[in-house]
Amino acid sequence: MAAMADEVETSLLVIVVDLHTRQRYLRDQPSLLMHVLDSVITLANMHLMLKTKNKVAIVGCNASNSEFLFCDADAIQPQPGQSGQSTAVRQSDGQYEIFAHLETTVKQNIKDFMQDEQSTFFEDKDCESLIAGALTLALCYINRINKEKSAGENLNSRLLILTGCAGGASQHMAYMNVFFTAQKQNIVMDVCSLEYELGLLQQGCDITGGLFLKIPQLQGLLQYLLWVFLPEPPIRKKLVLPPPARVDYRAACFCHRTLIDIGFVCSICLSIFCKFSPICTTCNTVFKPPGSLLPKKKKKQIKNVC
Amino acid sequence: MADEEDGNEYRWETGYEKTWEAIKEDDDGMLEASVAEIIQRAKRKRQAERRPNTRLGMMRHLYIILDSSEAMTDQDLKPTRQLCTAKLLEGFVEEYFDQNPISQMGIIVTRNKRAELVCELAGNGRKHVDIIKQISQGPCAGEPSLQNSLELALSSLRLLPGHASREVLVVMGSLTTCDPHDINVTIQKLKAEGVRCSVIGLAAEVKVCRQLSKETGGLYSVILDDCHFRDLLLQQVEPPPAARTQDCSLVRMGFPHHSNGTESSDASSASSNNPMSFCMCHLDVESKVDSTKLGAAGHLCPQCGSKYCELPVECRACGLTLVSAPHLARSYHHLFPVDNFLEIDAKENQQPRCFGCRRKFVELDKHAYKCGACSQIFCLDCDIFVHDTLHSCPGCTSSAKNH
Repeated sequence: MAAMADEVETSLLVIVVDLHTRQRYLRDQPSLLMHVLDSVITLANMHLMLKTKNKVAIVGCNASNSEFLFCDADAIQPQPGQSGQSTAVRQSDGQYEIFAHLETTVKQNIKDFMQDEQSTFFEDKDCESLIAGALTLALCYINRINKEKSAGENLNSRLLILTGCAGGASQHMAYMNVFFTAQKQNIVMDVCSLEYELGLLQQGCDITGGLFLKIPQLQGLLQYLLWVFLPEPPIRKKLVLPPPARVDYRAACFCHRTLIDIGFVCSICLSIFCKFSPICTTCNTVFKPPGSLLPKKKKKQIKNVC
Repeated sequence: MADEEDGNEYRWETGYEKTWEAIKEDDDGMLEASVAEIIQRAKRKRQAERRPNTRLGMMRHLYIILDSSEAMTDQDLKPTRQLCTAKLLEGFVEEYFDQNPISQMGIIVTRNKRAELVCELAGNGRKHVDIIKQISQGPCAGEPSLQNSLELALSSLRLLPGHASREVLVVMGSLTTCDPHDINVTIQKLKAEGVRCSVIGLAAEVKVCRQLSKETGGLYSVILDDCHFRDLLLQQVEPPPAARTQDCSLVRMGFPHHSNGTESSDASSASSNNPMSFCMCHLDVESKVDSTKLGAAGHLCPQCGSKYCELPVECRACGLTLVSAPHLARSYHHLFPVDNFLEIDAKENQQPRCFGCRRKFVELDKHAYKCGACSQIFCLDCDIFVHDTLHSCPGCTSSAKNH
């Protein structure tokens, strides 16, 4: 029992918010952004409220940039000797200072972030944010927080992605790197999709053991966030949550982008093709003609003998 | 050690090196900064050694030859050489399959002048870990036979298709080997077949081991202590450059459906209503713990419909390699590594915080690291994390200019 008392369980939640202005729900009704942001901030504050040692960070991303909206660099610095002197943090309406601080900081940072976007705005038809980039930032951040924790502390980190974008194919490799890194570091990745069924992110959730949820209606966003994504992964087993989606792990061939059951893989660069071609289009390797079926049979026979 | 070997010079033949002069006191007479710098250097050394644009052997077939001779009972590694080796090998196996998911590994043990194949080439790390645990409980006796074990590995490796990367890793505790014939003939055979042999010596340098690794293009190293041993093992995790004899070919692979039992509206033709069935991987296991493998969930081979509970695997019925797309994707980072960051002096650094983890740069940081592509500044920890674990640069991926 003594050992258990010593061990401090804390949880770091990193929320990645998609701030792409061309997401469909924002194009239809721009005021919904405030609704989404309020929900995210409420979720962050709820997470902080669960335990005093809980930590939160928020990363924003759009088509051209991704940046921290809130991290420990923005947190209130305790100033010994002059308590209550810091200008930004003063209790108002009886709200806990940290919550008020988080809200004002995030809103200020989002304002800067969105203004930045307008200056570098460019036309792209398919709405796609740099979520993978935001996730790499989040993983670097988690890595540092993990290193800085004190000896008896047990830090569980997890990621939550909120997006209304559809794409992701162009960042495929970055996504895969993120998924495997998260898996290796025991970081659970949850996705709350506002609009689409996202195949790639579903794979990520499956690999890291997180939840994927496409919310049926945006109005209830906060409820979904609090019910599904606020509980820690160990607690989730005891809750009745939406069933995991079936994830299709079949590969798409590089030549026609169709999903295949049986395909050919280049032994040099691991490109996938749906039928035999003499030259790899990715790495320009020249292959031997498919006479290579013979030694395969041979190998099987010998193996049986051994 | 490696750089001394290149010049064919032994340590005692090189000039007198004043190692203590590298350490300088700072203004307060403390060594901290200096020591931190030395640690940083060592951390970065491994990444600097990687060479880009080399053709890699991605589909690796590695035999570990493990010495179980009397020499392995020595206690210079704690608790004994054998137990320490087993412990480190377990970590190695996990890391190997994590980094090379479509590769295979086999284990050969040599004792009493014999070589014994304890684990065939297989792609599932858990089995290997179990076998290594068993070996660590087993006896250590007699002399090892390097030649017998190499011949045994060769007999299996030579049958592999031409595109496979063939490798042998010898962990040798003994300083002697008891061989039936001339081992140089075996070495030449290995060389001809393109088998890359690396040796890790636990005691001292042995001429025949050096000869073996030199001829076949492998690495030879002798451990200093258990930490060094682990580093040497982890060196073997990265896929090596492809051997010259290695062919390129298109390998036929299957990407199975996952049927999870509850949904019968599965597109897979093999079983329309998913009856309960055994998976092929646990058929031959004597029913002890795994007897509960009866179920409807599993991956179905797209060619013959046999069921497997884990991927990647080679179908036992039709011989098709079954993988899932993420398995292939996991290997991509070897092919498209992040370029090394440039080391810049802390004084030139204008950024107050590391771009990745938002850590404030402090005075102890003598250097900062800059990505050549996106010009963002990172701290050392992020530099190492990005190159060793993450494999994509946060600056490049989070800015649209680089897409």
